[in-house]
Amino acid sequence: MITKGLSCLQNNDTQATVIDPDNVFWAMTAKDAQGAPFVSREILSLYQKQKDSLDEEMKQFRFSAELSAVYIDPTDRCNSNCPYCYVPAKMRKNGAQMTTEQLRQVLNKVLDYFSGKERKPVIIFHASEPLLAKEAVFSAIREFKDKFSFGLQTNGLLLEKGDVEFLKKYRVGVGISLDAPLRSLNNKTRPSASSGFAARRAPRGEPSVKGGNFDAVVRAIEWFDGYAGLNVISTMTKFNIHSLDKMVRFLHSKKVPCVLFNPVRFTQKHSLKVKPDEKLMTKNFLKAVDSAIELSQNSGRRIIVANFSNVILSIVAPEARRMMCDISPCGGGRCFLTVTASGEMIPCGEFIGLKNSSGGNIFKTGIKEAMQSEPFQKIRSRFVEKIAECDVCLYRNICGAPCPAELGSMGNMFQKAVFCEFYKAIIKHAFKLIAEGKEKYCFREEGWDNLVYNYKLL
Amino acid sequence: MAKKIESGKENKKQKSRPVSGEMSYRLKCAKTANGLSHFVMYGDVPKEKTLL
Repeated sequence: MITKGLSCLQNNDTQATVIDPDNVFWAMTAKDAQGAPFVSREILSLYQKQKDSLDEEMKQFRFSAELSAVYIDPTDRCNSNCPYCYVPAKMRKNGAQMTTEQLRQVLNKVLDYFSGKERKPVIIFHASEPLLAKEAVFSAIREFKDKFSFGLQTNGLLLEKGDVEFLKKYRVGVGISLDAPLRSLNNKTRPSASSGFAARRAPRGEPSVKGGNFDAVVRAIEWFDGYAGLNVISTMTKFNIHSLDKMVRFLHSKKVPCVLFNPVRFTQKHSLKVKPDEKLMTKNFLKAVDSAIELSQNSGRRIIVANFSNVILSIVAPEARRMMCDISPCGGGRCFLTVTASGEMIPCGEFIGLKNSSGGNIFKTGIKEAMQSEPFQKIRSRFVEKIAECDVCLYRNICGAPCPAELGSMGNMFQKAVFCEFYKAIIKHAFKLIAEGKEKYCFREEGWDNLVYNYKLL
Repeated sequence: MAKKIESGKENKKQKSRPVSGEMSYRLKCAKTANGLSHFVMYGDVPKEKTLL
């Protein structure tokens, strides 16, 4: 099957979409009496006019290795025990933790790397649970507030009201983990660590965090009170896929502007135990997307499903994407990297439990050396044209076949995504919404308003 | 009927579209935060009027 140049996607009985999968030029068109797509002279002319520049833009976007963000794990330890975590259990229990001074050293190394570059780098404090090193993290945010844009991913167990005020004051982007809108359901996959130390660390007078993070997260969401920098991250498993629609409505009622529904990854084998049925996950995910659009359209307050928004973006504005998992090669070791609590530089946090992933230790060497290291080059060399099924797929530059860490741990990173059919279905849905003119409801208003036409045929 | 093809920076007003219409378009960022578009994720929090 040849998938070079324009190829046809079947939309419905009367309409088709033609697409060049290499540069994601697309056009929607009517079908003729025989059911074949009618590609007008205007579409062909537009395609011929734009093709070379779109090819070049896509090449630059996919294969440049310009770092824009660094994930830092200030601690390997965690006060949760989620069944799908990609951080090995031993590490979460007894792993390393940076001191305030070590974290300063890391941030200064990052500054050195970005010295002379126009771009203000993004620092994201990430897994395991960064608020176990709260003092070091907050101290760093205070000291480096003018040098970096900061983000924080947390399970919320240790968030106190004063912390929320601090994060809002410093305009920190905050991702908070919540899997379901019901306490019992959420706490199945977001339990506190069995050691009980999470419970002991609960602030005096505050509800115990023993059991799971539901109460702590809902309380924190209310403190955030519609903060533009808040997003909720849900991992889709066999337990929560029936509640995605309710989750969207629940979060919207709490003024949360953004949610991500990420399919569980199988980088660690134990997460296979919570694998959802792919068809059910797809159906419920799309129902949640439609609910988010309906709420955004009718309530005057938007909520976006960010990983779906990224799929829409990959069609209408591919170079505007920020989330890097569905680009091929992915952003790991290319647009971002992770520094673990012991200082190891790995292409992405997902690699933390995998052997031969380190590009060097930041306390001994530099980011430049890590970017040129063999493990980083290996990840950058994994792209869809090298995967047999993807090389002939019309969606190859929309989905990107995630994730190399997950697939590598399963034996071969040069294979299609575990949830390939899920991605195909949501891309089809994205084209349907574009045909209906609903795509703007998939973005924050300021994001959509910030886009202008490169070209249009409407 | 011939459709009009346009290019270049232009604000867009989007209305619901008929499902059977012919169309194609590509968008790009008018301005960026730190060289990147600011849509959803970390580090993209819009600054409020009261600066730090």
